Amino acid sequence: MTFSGLFRSLPISSLYCVLLIPIPLYFYWGTVNQLGPDPLRFLEHKYGELGLIFLLITLSISPLFKYAKINLMRYRRCIGLVAFYYIVSHICVYFFLDIGLSIDILLSDLKKRYYIIAGFFAFITLIPLALTSNNFALRKLNIKTWNRIHSLIYIAIVLSIFHFILMSKTWTGELYLYTGITIFILILKIKSTKVYKKLSTYSNADISK
Amino acid sequence: MKILKYSDVTPHNLYLNRRKFVEALGLTSLAFVATPTTAKLSYSTSAKPNTIDEITNYNNFYEFGTSKTDPAKYAHSLTTDPWEITFEGVSQDKKRFDLTEILKGKAIQERIYRLRCVEGWSMVIPWIGFPLRDLINELEIDNNAKFVAFETVYRPEEMRGQKRATLDWPYREGLTIKEALHPLTFIATGLYGKELPNQNGAPFRLVVPWKYGFKSIKSITKISFMKEQPYTTWSSESPREYGFYSNVNPNVNHPRWSQATERVIGEGLFGERRKTELFNGYIEEVGDLYKGMDLKKYY
Repeated sequence: MTFSGLFRSLPISSLYCVLLIPIPLYFYWGTVNQLGPDPLRFLEHKYGELGLIFLLITLSISPLFKYAKINLMRYRRCIGLVAFYYIVSHICVYFFLDIGLSIDILLSDLKKRYYIIAGFFAFITLIPLALTSNNFALRKLNIKTWNRIHSLIYIAIVLSIFHFILMSKTWTGELYLYTGITIFILILKIKSTKVYKKLSTYSNADISK
Repeated sequence: MKILKYSDVTPHNLYLNRRKFVEALGLTSLAFVATPTTAKLSYSTSAKPNTIDEITNYNNFYEFGTSKTDPAKYAHSLTTDPWEITFEGVSQDKKRFDLTEILKGKAIQERIYRLRCVEGWSMVIPWIGFPLRDLINELEIDNNAKFVAFETVYRPEEMRGQKRATLDWPYREGLTIKEALHPLTFIATGLYGKELPNQNGAPFRLVVPWKYGFKSIKSITKISFMKEQPYTTWSSESPREYGFYSNVNPNVNHPRWSQATERVIGEGLFGERRKTELFNGYIEEVGDLYKGMDLKKYY
């Protein structure tokens, strides 16, 4: 059996295991003080950043198939859910460890801090996606509705990037990279929408007149 | 420059023992040591200092990169000896000094100060150095000078972060003359009884313990005395978020985050947040400087 054949024959559940291992592992390193002088910020940022990276990978799977003929479609649900679990872990670190379960701080953050507001709504938009990422929901919902729910991921990624930009002091290399990838994915998406196609046909027609 | 290991740390109790302290200074290769004197302990906090490991591996020094671990990784490339400092706004003929000339005869002392970063974390650091006023008093400053401006060295070939326009290089900071002459305002040339590690701003840095950390400019090569309020890097980068004064104040929030509490570095994953104090707890010492001032307006 070839290597890629072997890879394909592995059950998806093993992919979940591999991709989720860093969550307990980083947490363990944090408890034994192996994450540097500021373990809390490290853990919070690491989960958040990995959540963002897995969201971007989820979003790349469809354009990769369409433009590069690389088919990773069967891993998309898994990677999308992994992204969601990282984001849940990120929020748990914020709520349980960073602000120490303080509802007061949470509410004042949600009122005043733009990056927390953006992050909060990014998370809210991802909940229906996570809840419908299973065969049961796929069977129950009609495909149009399901697709519509899952296009919320584009709103989530824009809010996530805003969350990241608004909490940063300056434009770092990572920030440029993630923002760049997001813009690229969004452009590809906009180009494939019916509205865009219609508009471009019209304008082409105008030019040819 | 050798990076200090955890094992090099002198225990705190030895620290306050003057004889051991002098001994520690004598044993290390401090290039710029003058006669050490007893530190004025009243200016030091009794809080337990962070470990040398924490102090030297968690730094904001964008000249070497924006990550907290970049300075420890890349700061070794900076040449700190020889080091020259230029003065402007002084009437004396000689305006350029070698660091050894500046340190000659200065009474070197230890100051254990709390450091509060504008990002919402804090540390306790045992600095070695001398009060800035000891240097200013030796200079012939223009009579009408109201402010002091400081500039970090600009050497992109040695400071990799300066190759990118993260900030408007060189890094610049400033104080009012009154703040600069305050006995708490300190020039650090060492840390934990040893030469200052590059990532902490070697060989000559400012330490203003009642202001957010970014005011305490590192690796200084130019000091100017002037009439007008000088250009300062962060307050020009984002005037709404970083003021010229930038005094630690739990009641004046950064527009994007709260300044009411701080994470204490070294407390681990489950450490409790500390309530931030006005002027970082140095209100008795510096409160008079800002009497009658609207701290919300002059943040």
